[in-house]
This record gives sequence, structure tokens and C-alpha cells, in this order.
Amino acid sequence: MIYLLRRLGFYVVAWCVSLTLNFFIPRLAPGDPASALEAQFQGRLDPAAFEAMRVAFGLSDEPATVLFVKYLKNLARGDLGVSIAHFPAPVSEVIGQGLLWTLFLSGLALAISFSLGTLLGTVLGFFRGGRADAIVSSIFTLFGAFPYFWLAMILLYGGGFMTGLFPLRHAYSDGLRPSWSLEFAVDVLHHAFLPALAIVLASAGGWLITMRSSMMSVLGEDFILLARAKGLSQARVMLRYAAPSAILPSLTGFGMALGFILSGSLLTEVVFSYPGQGYLFFEAVKSLDYPLMQGLFLSITSSVLLANMAVDVGLVFFDPRLRK
Amino acid sequence: MPRRRLASPHRPPPRKSELSLHQVGLWALMALGLAFLSGGCKSEARQERGVMTVVPQLRASWVRNFNPFFESHSRWPAPAGVYEPLLIYNRITGNYVPWLAESWEFSADSRELTLKIRRGVHFSDGRELTGHDVVFTLELMRRFAALDQTSIWSHVERVSQAESLVHLHFKAPFNLPILALLERVPIVPAHIWSKIQDPVTFSNPEPIATGPYNRVLYFSPQLYELGRNPNYWQKGKPGLDKIRVPAIGSNEAQALALIHGEVDWGAAFLPSVERIFVAKDPEHHQYQFPSLEGTVMLYANTKRAPFQTSAVRKALSMAIDRAKLVRIAMQGYTRAADATGLSEQFAAWHDAKVLEEEGDWTQFDPETAARLLDQAGLKKGPDGLRRLPNGAPWRPELNVVVGWSDWIIAAQIIVRNLQALGVDVKLKSYDQGAWFQRLRLGDFDLSLSWSNGTATPWSFYQYQMSKDTLRPLGEPAERNWQRFESERADALLNAFAASGDADERFRISSELQREFVRHAPAIPLFPGPIWGEANTTRIEGFPTREAPYAPLAPYKAPGMLLVLTELRPRGTPPLPGTPGQAPSPEGSP
Repeated sequence: MIYLLRRLGFYVVAWCVSLTLNFFIPRLAPGDPASALEAQFQGRLDPAAFEAMRVAFGLSDEPATVLFVKYLKNLARGDLGVSIAHFPAPVSEVIGQGLLWTLFLSGLALAISFSLGTLLGTVLGFFRGGRADAIVSSIFTLFGAFPYFWLAMILLYGGGFMTGLFPLRHAYSDGLRPSWSLEFAVDVLHHAFLPALAIVLASAGGWLITMRSSMMSVLGEDFILLARAKGLSQARVMLRYAAPSAILPSLTGFGMALGFILSGSLLTEVVFSYPGQGYLFFEAVKSLDYPLMQGLFLSITSSVLLANMAVDVGLVFFDPRLRK
Repeated sequence: MPRRRLASPHRPPPRKSELSLHQVGLWALMALGLAFLSGGCKSEARQERGVMTVVPQLRASWVRNFNPFFESHSRWPAPAGVYEPLLIYNRITGNYVPWLAESWEFSADSRELTLKIRRGVHFSDGRELTGHDVVFTLELMRRFAALDQTSIWSHVERVSQAESLVHLHFKAPFNLPILALLERVPIVPAHIWSKIQDPVTFSNPEPIATGPYNRVLYFSPQLYELGRNPNYWQKGKPGLDKIRVPAIGSNEAQALALIHGEVDWGAAFLPSVERIFVAKDPEHHQYQFPSLEGTVMLYANTKRAPFQTSAVRKALSMAIDRAKLVRIAMQGYTRAADATGLSEQFAAWHDAKVLEEEGDWTQFDPETAARLLDQAGLKKGPDGLRRLPNGAPWRPELNVVVGWSDWIIAAQIIVRNLQALGVDVKLKSYDQGAWFQRLRLGDFDLSLSWSNGTATPWSFYQYQMSKDTLRPLGEPAERNWQRFESERADALLNAFAASGDADERFRISSELQREFVRHAPAIPLFPGPIWGEANTTRIEGFPTREAPYAPLAPYKAPGMLLVLTELRPRGTPPLPGTPGQAPSPEGSP
């Protein structure tokens, strides 16, 4: 219990720190939003109108400290401000429409990649040194070394463009309307397949390696020897004895990995024109859209922190040593 | 990439654990099978008749905003398609096409413009468009300066109305240039917008408008659909039932969709367009990349040594191999600029005599360039690098934008050309915002950037040479970044704006060109192309190479309205009227 409270305190502090960083990091980038805004117009905007727009868009010359206080006040009211790149839409609306798709895609990819990687790692760790081990581990390590977006582009070209087996873009077909029907669900899965595959290919290797090495160290323990001595089947030793102990480092890493998966998912989304947060982020950075960047950072850091917290709580149930 | 790897994302399971892995594999296969099936049905469903898919802007997700005053922030085609302007400048024919204004007339002293508003035009709620709506729209732009994006109110003193006649009274004599400003004003209904508290932040989700496609049928972050206006004032138009606008985030993704035949009308920069796009289906795949954008310039900061001397700027210009620039950086899609700086946009104004008389310093001539630099006191030191007249090293920097690959390649060629001349120039790339900030504040030596590309040379040269646009270094300038001023140019610009006589305007424009060629305020590189592709498998009526009645590019408001009203399903007879010309006055009841 004390452990949980301590962790909770840690997350509150971490969240506050991230709130502060969210505000200041975007402002460290060179350039200013006014210039970026005007650059978007490519000379089609008259200077007088630009001045007026600057005011309308809330681009003021106040010092950062004053703005920071305003930001905190607005945040307390749940107001994230108005996006510059998507003016006049409020940031919460812009983020809201992409968040679900990003969570769906990265959640799906993370679930597949974690279970696939861990499962393979368990098996390969148990039968280490075999031919399957050599081939499968090295293939996944190889894919893990590729950047997400590169894998995504190759998959888009091969699976979407050359063969036409999968759609080139979007989360569902242009002719369909979102509904709770089987047709729509299948269509969504069809569209999510390549982007998710890109993330899975790039990230499963990490889980595989972690699980495999963790399996190998667990296999040297006495209780495994005991299990074997009892004459239990290989599968039972592997799945009931070795795997539950070996999975702990992977679970700890799960929360951490979420951040990486999210960032990878953002890049993949750009390649597949997936309507998530990825391209929003890209555009926000490009146009120095501070309010949108803050909002996106906030939603991402918050979800990573939440996931970590969930993992911490979960670990208490998996690891008796934490339960004091 | 081999197909098999895609169909089975994981390897065959190793021995022993067969049971569980087999099950996983089975499920995966079933999911895949279902997915393929659905994929098969879908591609058939896409071929609906009378539906056009357009990709006018690169954005990976849409936010619902049909506020027509913010062309760059609202959804296509809010300013010209959902709403409509009074008139449209046809960049191909060089004519002003009457639209919601049936006709117009300037007073003899150029102090007043009278617009006759068309009758029989209705907003989508059934109310008829009147002169009052036009006056209201203009007044709205006066009250909310952010809406007045072309700054009409810096020229107009007041607006008055009598029945269907709308009068614009100018502060000083002002003629032709006002039309180029007016074409970007979307006319909104007074009875709706007078109730809007803040029209600047109004996202106008359900537009009430006069345009050919003024109904939003569906809106989601990845796609929106606009429906045909059944009561459009041009009888028999528009020809399509529905326009579908998918959100596509990258140029690559758009290129794939175009080549795949999923997009009917696109605006992609395609490398080797003949090979990768046209060759796939020469009968239906068309493109037009006319150089109708402003000229891309190399700006030299005329307030920094040694760029204040025009001879130095001309020398730098002569050192640049523009033929190579156009061939490599621009894939041959445009031509080398000449010393007037005018793009095809201003073809009718271009005076070749000026170049003959004043000399064209855009011709590649490294020897003369070297001589000019020597004469300016920028002599080579023992290391072969040129030094400033006071002997200090001369190390100018050339600014470009990260990721703008065509400009970066162009800048690399320029850097090599200048280095061959002994100029120790360095390429500096910045993020778009940072690059533009330096440009505005005058904090640069050399920088690539665009120039103005509106309808008359007036605004083009105003951006280049006018004292009005001049700001001191360190103060943000929205144009004239190079900080050049010329009294003579100002006099000519004022005379041009006030002139109501076409011949006189041409003469003044020639003199403006002469002034530019003499002083080289900026170094023209190449006219910027605009990008437009069409796939005529399902849709007909696009401008073709044989009959280019308007620019093909879908993103140039309001010019694309000329094309939007001509499109029809393949195999249907052409719509009434002459494409690209004034619509027939059939709208009257």
C-alpha cells in the first residue's frame, strides 16, 4: 500500500514537471509562430490583415512567464486554447478527433507486438541455440533496427500500391460511414493492418530479446530444475514455471515502451495518412502552433504516465515481493 | 517486397509449442481472409457516377471550418466554390470574368468603381443575393481587419449602394489593381453574418452560400463531401452530384493515389510526371504545370555590405547557371527567369524591348560576373576567395528552408556557382518559421523566397521596390525583405494604380520593368509553377493542353471555380456556356 502511495506521489510530481516542460519546450524552437503563420500564406496576405490576424490568433508579445501563468489558469479550467494551424478550432477539438484513432492503432500494435514478441521470446529462450532461435531472433532484431517510417513506406509501397491488397490511406473506406456493423469493423481492421504491421515489425524484436534473455536467466534457477526433475512436460515447465517469472522485466518495460510506440505510431500515421495525432503533431511543429503542441504533448505525456501507473499497479499483483 | 511475407507476419512456429501458436496463426489467417474480401468489394463501390475525388491541399486530417475569409485555414473550396467572389481573374486568358458582379465600371478620374450585382442568385436558404450583401461583406471586412486579407480598406474610403449597384469610393485614384483584390472577397449573406458575434473565430460549420457546391453532406477528420447546389444561378450547372475531399498528408501519398487512379483532380508535385503518371494511362492522365506563380527570387540584403551596390547583385545573378537550376532543381517544369522578374502570370505585361536596351543580367556569364566583382573592389585574396574592399573576409550565408527540397537543390547549385566565382558562400537551412523570421527582420545576407504573383505587375513591383513597403532592419517587413527603395518606382506605381487607360498602363509597366532591370533589387531565378493533374476516366471538362481555358490547379482560389463549374461525369454532353468565359446571363428570372 505504501508502495502504491509512493508511486502515486511520484506520478503527480512527474505530471507537474511535464506540464511545465510542455509549455517551455515548444518555445525553445527557433522562429516564432507569427512568422510561421505568415509563411503559410506565401505572400498572399496583406501586412495590415496580418497584424489583425496576429491579434485574433492570440499571438502576443507578452513575456513567457506571464503566458505561463495564463496557461496554467486556462489548463485548470480545462481550456487548452485555440489552435493556430487549425484556426479557429479549439485545441481540445483538434486533439479529440485524432486521439481515438491513435490510441486504437498504437494500442492494437502494442498488444500484438507485446504478445507476439513475448510469446516468441518465451519459446526461443526455452529452446535457445536452435536453428529457429537463430533465424527468428535475427530477423526480428533486423526489423527492429529499421526506423518505423521506413518500414511503413516499404509496406505501403509493397502491400498497398504494388499489390493493391491493402488500402493506401485512412482508417476506413471513403464510401463508408462509421457504424457498429461487422462491415465497418472489418474495414477498419483492413485499414489498420499495414500501419499496425509496421509498428509490430519494428517493435516486436525488443520484446522478443528482453523475454528471451530473461527466460534464459530464469531457466538456470533451482525451481526450474525441480520442475524438470518432477518430470513435468516441456510446455508446462516453460509456460507455468519459467515464463511468469521471466515476464517481469518485460512488464516493467511495458509502460516505457508505450511512449516509443506512440511516437512510432505518429510517424507511421503520417505515411498512411491515418487520421490520428501523428500528422497533427507534424503540422503543429512545422507551424510552431504552441497551443496545439502543448495540447498534444499533454495528451501524450498523460497517457504514458497513466499507462505506467497502471503497470505499477499491475506489478503489485504479479510480483509478490512488492506486496509488503 | 515479396508478397508472402505480408500474408504471414510471423514465422512458422518452432516445435513443441505448436498448439497455441497454431491457433494464433489460424485466427490471423481468418482475419486476413476477411480483410481481403472486404477489400475486394470496396474497390467496386468506389466507382459511383457523378462523384469526384479531389486533393486540393495536403493535410492529414480535416477540421470543420468553412469560414471563407481564411483561404489558408478553411476547407476547400470555401472562398470560391461554396461561396463565390464578384469576379475572377482568369490567369490563362488574362481576362477578368464577371461572376456575382455582372459588370463594372470605373469613373473617368479613377476615384470610383461601380459594380452591377447579378440578379437571380440565391443563397442556399432561398434568400436572394442583393447589393446589400456585397456592401455588408465589405463593411464586415472594415470592422474586422483580419478578414480583409488583401487590405482593400487601405485603398477604399467608403462603400455605398443603390439597388443592385455597389459603389466603391477610393481614397486616391485607384484602378485596375482593385480588381485583383476584389477577386479574393467571398460574398456572404448579410442576414446570417450580421448575427455572428465574432466572424474571425467563426468556423461556419453549415455554410449558407451561393456557390455550385455549397452543401456539406458529410464531414469527418479523414474525409468530407460537398453536394451540388440544385438552385445554382448558372442554369444546367454544376455537372457533378458530389465532391469528395480525402485528407492526404504527404506528397508521396498523394502521388500514389493519383497514379492508382483514386483521385480525379490533384495538385501534386510529381517528379518525372510523364513517366510515372502520364505513361500509366496516356489517354486519361493529364497534367499542367504552368509557371503562373510569382518568380522565385534570390534576395540579397541591400542594407548589408557589399550587396548595396547593384553591380554586385547583377554579378551574383550572372554567376548563376539558371538552365542547370531549372533542369535539376525544378525537373525542367519551368524556365529560367529573365531580368524583369515577371512570371508567365504577367506575360501580357512583359516588354522584351526593356531587356534589349538595358541588358539581361540573368544570362549565365561568369567572366563578366568576375569582372564586375573585381571592379566593385571584391578582389580575390591569396587563398582564391574574394574579400571585402577593406580586406576583411567575405562570408555571406544563403538561407533556405529545411525540407523544401526543390529550393534546397537550387540553393546548392547557386552555392557551387558562386564558389566557382571565389565567393565563400555557405548554405544555411532553417525551419520554415525561423527562416521567414530572418527574412522579415532583414537578418540575412542572401535568402531564397517567393515573390508576389497577383494579377498586375503593380503589386509585384510594389513588393520589390516601393518605399511604402520598406522597413528598417530589425523591424518586421511583410514584403520588400531586401529593403530596396526607389523614388522613381513609387511615382510609377502610383501612376499605374491611378491609370484607367490600358496603353498608358502598359507604358508605365515597361518603365517599372526598366527600373527593376537597372537596379536589380532582387535576383530572379525561375517562375514558380502551379501543380495540377486530372484523371478523365470518370470526370470530363477539365482544361486540356489543346483547350486550356483556365489553370488546371485545384488550389488556386478563385480561379478553380472556373473549372469546378465545367466538370461533368464522363460521357455526358458539355455544359452550357463557354468554359473560362463570362457565364451566360441566364440566371435572370
